[in-house]
Amino acid sequence: MSIPASPSRRALPAMAATLALGLGLAACGSSGSTTAPSGQAAKPVFTMVTDQTGLGDHGFNDLAKLGIDETAKALGGLAKVIQSSEQAQYVPNLQQSVSSGSTVTIGVGFLLTDSMSQVAQSNPNAKFVLIDATAVGTDKKPLTNVASINFKEQEAAFLTGIIAGLTTKTHRIGFVGGIKSGPVVRFLAGFEAGIKQVDPKTRLSTAFLGNFTDSAKAKELAKGYSDAGADIVMEVAGSGGLGVYDAAKEEGAGHWVIGTDTCKDQLAPQNFLTSATKDVAGMVAKESKAAADGTFKGGELRLGLADNAVGVCDKTFGTLPKNIQDTVTKATTAIKAGTLTVPDTEAAAAAFTAATL
Amino acid sequence: MNDLLTMAVVVSALHLAVPLIYPALGGLISERSGVMNIGLEGMMLVGAFTGTAFAYATGSPWLGLLAALAGGLLAGALLAVLCVTLRADQVVAATAINLLGAGLTAAFVPIVWNVDGTSPPVHKLTAWTVPLLADLPGIGVIFSSLTALDYGAFLAALAVWWVLFRTDAGLRLRACGESPEAADSAGVPVLRTRFLAVTMSGAFAAAGGVYLSLVSIGLFQASMTQGRGYLALAAMIFGKWRVWPALLACLLFGLADAVQLRLQIASTLFPSELLLALPYLLALLALATFVGRASAPAAVGRPFART
Repeated sequence: MSIPASPSRRALPAMAATLALGLGLAACGSSGSTTAPSGQAAKPVFTMVTDQTGLGDHGFNDLAKLGIDETAKALGGLAKVIQSSEQAQYVPNLQQSVSSGSTVTIGVGFLLTDSMSQVAQSNPNAKFVLIDATAVGTDKKPLTNVASINFKEQEAAFLTGIIAGLTTKTHRIGFVGGIKSGPVVRFLAGFEAGIKQVDPKTRLSTAFLGNFTDSAKAKELAKGYSDAGADIVMEVAGSGGLGVYDAAKEEGAGHWVIGTDTCKDQLAPQNFLTSATKDVAGMVAKESKAAADGTFKGGELRLGLADNAVGVCDKTFGTLPKNIQDTVTKATTAIKAGTLTVPDTEAAAAAFTAATL
Repeated sequence: MNDLLTMAVVVSALHLAVPLIYPALGGLISERSGVMNIGLEGMMLVGAFTGTAFAYATGSPWLGLLAALAGGLLAGALLAVLCVTLRADQVVAATAINLLGAGLTAAFVPIVWNVDGTSPPVHKLTAWTVPLLADLPGIGVIFSSLTALDYGAFLAALAVWWVLFRTDAGLRLRACGESPEAADSAGVPVLRTRFLAVTMSGAFAAAGGVYLSLVSIGLFQASMTQGRGYLALAAMIFGKWRVWPALLACLLFGLADAVQLRLQIASTLFPSELLLALPYLLALLALATFVGRASAPAAVGRPFART
């Protein structure tokens, strides 16, 4: 190690580096948008905290943002987003939202579960919403100041599986997941069962990215599926899923993509088949309003087709062949009536056999 | 399993390796001159973002590429000011570059495009079909799937090798990394050489980043590099700070990644978690076993000041 020429010359770069660090952190920080300033003193503040995937996923982060934006507009409040760029930021970001006086803090994504449980327990008077997981206390019971919203993704994915099984010509279908966990597994299980329901001889292969961001890797996976003879790929990979659409666009017509969370037809109009949708925007808006008008009830929610909380993309449904539409409608009725239970684990999906509709 | 033995895997491996090759070369230039550069990740993001923004504004991915290289030079110059001119701690300064790169590019997305996180699609650099070579049986597909930026990676490696190891300028640069005092007494402008090397390394890293946004996907996504800057650094160390072994290491990482992705598709035999870790396990193994102690440039990480 060399000896510094003089202490003051050493201090300057350290300061410069610290300043740069500060700027960098600030840039990862919050961005707020005021909508319809009202005369009242206490405007409700709706703050959403993301995981590393963040906004721009064309999926559930963007939907949650839509939910708080709509609520803020309707109630004359303020919608804020705090994006986390790494796991270590979850707790400070959630705490920052509480400390800055948010009416409700919305954690988007199951990755935030533990951090939210921790922050919700140390701030028992603050209200929280958690999407895609359940925040539990030390007694393993759902926390009462957190509305833990879980979706029955398997029911929506079952319907897309039916559409896929009746659409594939090669009888080979691929699945690109982000991280193998909670909602991703439920999507996969439902999708697999849906395919089995209509076409037991179709082979479904699965692969994972290890994150919800790496679109370049997702694209290579999608091309691999295409090389292996698959003509449909379902993506449950956050913004990483964008790579699947890009691959399909390059491969051309006849290569279909099934999306998640919302209609994503704009990403590849020629190749978009359908989506397993989740009404994240609607649920976030509902809970945000409840928090603002005092009707907020915490605890665990599990919402499916019967609650109109999940489904398939409306936009392209009408363009599907009649027989596919009919089968989907029949399955929807059976699931809503409770006569058909869609598997939500890999093991249950493997054991699934076609039910009579 | 025969799915794995196709030329498509080779193409996939190249697509995954090229965004490592450029930053690995950048890191090599910088470290050979004596400046540790763990800021490659942030510089890649700067390149990916600048390239997409200019391709969007001008409609030309080529102008986007040029802008990305310019953006990379700026990011490199910033690190050079901190590390070379101001003699900051190189790890701290490069970490600042990484945080700045990730934070500023993400923050600029809504400013430039009025949407969060992901830019709208832009025109991509398209693949060249090389006459004759593309018609070859078997390997022909490779020569119709690569872009100028893919071929450029190998040309860049050749150029870096030639300059560093076959020219006087390269000798002087390496002297700054081995013994800046000796280089200084021999009349080599150590600070200027290091400044240029670090600045150049920014352009190389940016080329890797812009590959992701203008070749792979055709849009910019916040933190789309996903640790490739660090993997490139590992490849460079694996290659003992030499050009061809570093290039090989990048190709190996790319191949490992391409094979594990296809293995996930072809078989349920291996857990996906294990397969996903394959390139990183290789990197760890490489670092732990193949690298001798004395292969780093002797003066890397040590700021230089004339006394």
